[in-house]
Amino acid sequence: MEPRYYDIRCVRGEITSVEIDNGVIESAGTSFFDKAVVRALGPAGWGILTLDHVDLGSRRARNDIIAAAMRLAGITEDRVDLAPAPHGVLASPPLREDPRNVDLEEKTRLLAEIESAARLPEVVNTRARYTEGIDQVRFLDSSGNEASYEIVRSGFSVLAVASRNGMMQMGSERDHISTGFNLRNKQELGRKAAETAVALLDAGLAKGGAVNAVLDPELAGVFTHEAVGHASEGDLIREGNSVLKGRIGETIGAPGLVIVDDPSLPEFGFDPVDAEGVAPGRTEIIRDGVLTAYLHSRETLASVGDGIAGHARAEHGAPPQVRMSNTFIENGDATRDEILAECRDGILLIGSRGGQVDPGRGVFQFNAEFGYLIENGETTRMVRDVSLSGEILKTLHDIALIGNDRKMHPGYCGKGGQTVPVSDGAPHLLLRNAMVGGRGS
Amino acid sequence: MKAEFLIDDIIREGERSADEVEVFFTEGRSISAEIKQSIIGTAEESRGWRIAIRTIKDGRIGVSSTGDPGRWKECLAAALASGRIATPQDWHGLPKPTNMTSTAPSSDPDLIVEPERASAFIAGLLEGAAEYPVDVAGGGADLSRSYIAIANSNGVRYGMERTYAGVSLEAIREQSTGYEFMASPFAADIDPRWVGEQAAFLASHSVGGKDIATGHYDLILSPVAAAQLIGTVLVPALSGRNVQAGRSHLAGKIGEQCADEMLSIYDDPFTRGMGSTCWDAEGVPARRLDYISDGVLQCFAYDLKTAYRYGEESTASAVRSGGEGSPSIGVHNLVVDGPRTTVDDARAIFINSVVGAHTANPFSGDFSLEISNAYWVEDGEPGDPIRTAMFAGNVFEMLTGIAGLGNDSRIVGRLIIPSIRLNNQQIIGK
Repeated sequence: MEPRYYDIRCVRGEITSVEIDNGVIESAGTSFFDKAVVRALGPAGWGILTLDHVDLGSRRARNDIIAAAMRLAGITEDRVDLAPAPHGVLASPPLREDPRNVDLEEKTRLLAEIESAARLPEVVNTRARYTEGIDQVRFLDSSGNEASYEIVRSGFSVLAVASRNGMMQMGSERDHISTGFNLRNKQELGRKAAETAVALLDAGLAKGGAVNAVLDPELAGVFTHEAVGHASEGDLIREGNSVLKGRIGETIGAPGLVIVDDPSLPEFGFDPVDAEGVAPGRTEIIRDGVLTAYLHSRETLASVGDGIAGHARAEHGAPPQVRMSNTFIENGDATRDEILAECRDGILLIGSRGGQVDPGRGVFQFNAEFGYLIENGETTRMVRDVSLSGEILKTLHDIALIGNDRKMHPGYCGKGGQTVPVSDGAPHLLLRNAMVGGRGS
Repeated sequence: MKAEFLIDDIIREGERSADEVEVFFTEGRSISAEIKQSIIGTAEESRGWRIAIRTIKDGRIGVSSTGDPGRWKECLAAALASGRIATPQDWHGLPKPTNMTSTAPSSDPDLIVEPERASAFIAGLLEGAAEYPVDVAGGGADLSRSYIAIANSNGVRYGMERTYAGVSLEAIREQSTGYEFMASPFAADIDPRWVGEQAAFLASHSVGGKDIATGHYDLILSPVAAAQLIGTVLVPALSGRNVQAGRSHLAGKIGEQCADEMLSIYDDPFTRGMGSTCWDAEGVPARRLDYISDGVLQCFAYDLKTAYRYGEESTASAVRSGGEGSPSIGVHNLVVDGPRTTVDDARAIFINSVVGAHTANPFSGDFSLEISNAYWVEDGEPGDPIRTAMFAGNVFEMLTGIAGLGNDSRIVGRLIIPSIRLNNQQIIGK
């Protein structure tokens, strides 16, 4: 049987990583991959075949794999249709310095400088890791669309652990980019990680409960990603597994709140063409507090509506999923000082140790790296191990002030067993009655 | 190309430039089917192939891996180049072949990796879910069979089959969700109907949840919730590398009472679990490893590199996820054990899972996490659901004050773990 549609996406490339632990170069090297994902649409749904190394030049090989994908499609029952979408590839941002022109010895030496900068008194362990990915992507589909591009990502993370009298605390920093080599002149981030770890040895425990909370741009970015981004993904909407289902046109957030996902920005989540060959573009999920669009693949756009396709992404050798890329809250007009003053008494939450969301239940949880108590509009005592949780729909209304100092932060996002590079960001935010968790009393 | 010949070629070629060479080989095929709102939406087949090469020269370890048989020479060259940069260390050699008499139940000869088998699992899931008035949001079935081999220039040539069967279902009713899963190397262990029914029960039973006041409460962590916390915090603290590097809370505490005396925690590679094996990812013969016996810390986990570096012995604890170049220290089947009892007689809050376990502090053990599908339980009967609350605590402290281990061990990833009762724990409510 002929497929209604098929596409083949091949990613060939290299991953270089260097790991230094307490001054010891544990590993430094390059690995190679070459993976293909074949999707065929049968009378009902998708049959998907993933393989190592496919010869696209051989018509027979191509027919065989499409036939194998079609056999799989035979057991599906859910009728999938694809919305039309503009095809095309954006130009990748120019590389300021191509990491391939820097030899492994120099990469290791530069990483070692960052790692050794983290060795302050009371720091008992320092670790740094460099990761570089070169992806050469080739896409073709049965409608005659073809795309190919190369993307280079380079970055590092550094972790310091400080210890005193049996107490252990950590500080970490990271910086990843898709615009070139990213290890030069970064020692200060090693030092910053160490300073955080040492300072946390003296920090108190936060007391859990409902308080006014100020989120720094990094944590507010994670909040945007976790609490709003995931819940607006078209596949979850279609499955009925999101509290944002059926709320287009509804005011779900504070006035002035604008939340965007934009794969075309040259941030870490940049995507020159999505995993279905669609030219990506900016989607405003929330405009002035009103839910206006979801994030979509061609398939979810056809079945759910509202929004544009171009948000399908895939890890090497894995089928596309509806995913975020660069997700952020647009600037408001408050300064950081105005936000602290307006908060009056509460907590300032800084940095992120990650988070998770249950979009169906509309509940999110994430941890700050640390925080400061706010008393009378001023930051005072440092606190550690503080988390923030809440209900998406309530929390978006609880945003009382939006800052004017948006910053983007790179990271990796996991969904359905796949990890993709993303960035998220926001200005400082003031949240009224935020649920803050901590062991203090 | 037959893998055995390729492995021999790589070792022969690598030995010309390195003192020792190791090849880790994985090959497999998997089938999965995904549910889209009560019917099968997607069917997927994956065929994978990967070799990882390690070379050792003058104590310098090099690594590389590839998924393309045609690029093995490039991969070997990358491993050798990588070794030239690594810091040299004390090295006493890769393992030599051993006659292993033990067996490990890692593969089910009756497991069929075909789409029809996945369809049958899905039918079972949906049948179970129909027991409660819920919508099915997603889920699926996965089946796989893989072959893993390790070979080195000392003559080690071990190979094993691994099978995997897993099902999961997510149900939703109003704003309540329920998720359940089951996985095993053996198809007969999988009860898709139970998984569907349990997910639907959780979603359905959580409707109309009430708030709870901040305070101290008696809790029961389901095996899943217990595994989420223990996997995030305790497993890394048992790694010899973390211990020696000064980032384990348990460093220097061997022989000390680190957990409740009813608690024993051990790695049993020969039991039926997701990590069953006779040899570790470096070819060292696997063995049972008692980490905590009756609450007393006995040992830490080592791979060859860490053991040689710190004058310890490998505990055969090297693991690899997928076909990664370097092995790391981990667990095969971590069993949490002790005297069992009925834990849900006396009134307590049952916590089915926690949201964001990975944000717990792995060094200090501190956590404050949102709870999921929590409800009151008494006399074994589920009572009123709790809408939302946070559970704050410390994993290491938690382990020292266990009120009881349930009768219900199950496989959760690489852990085999019962439900755990904890009394007087801090809950942050409304």
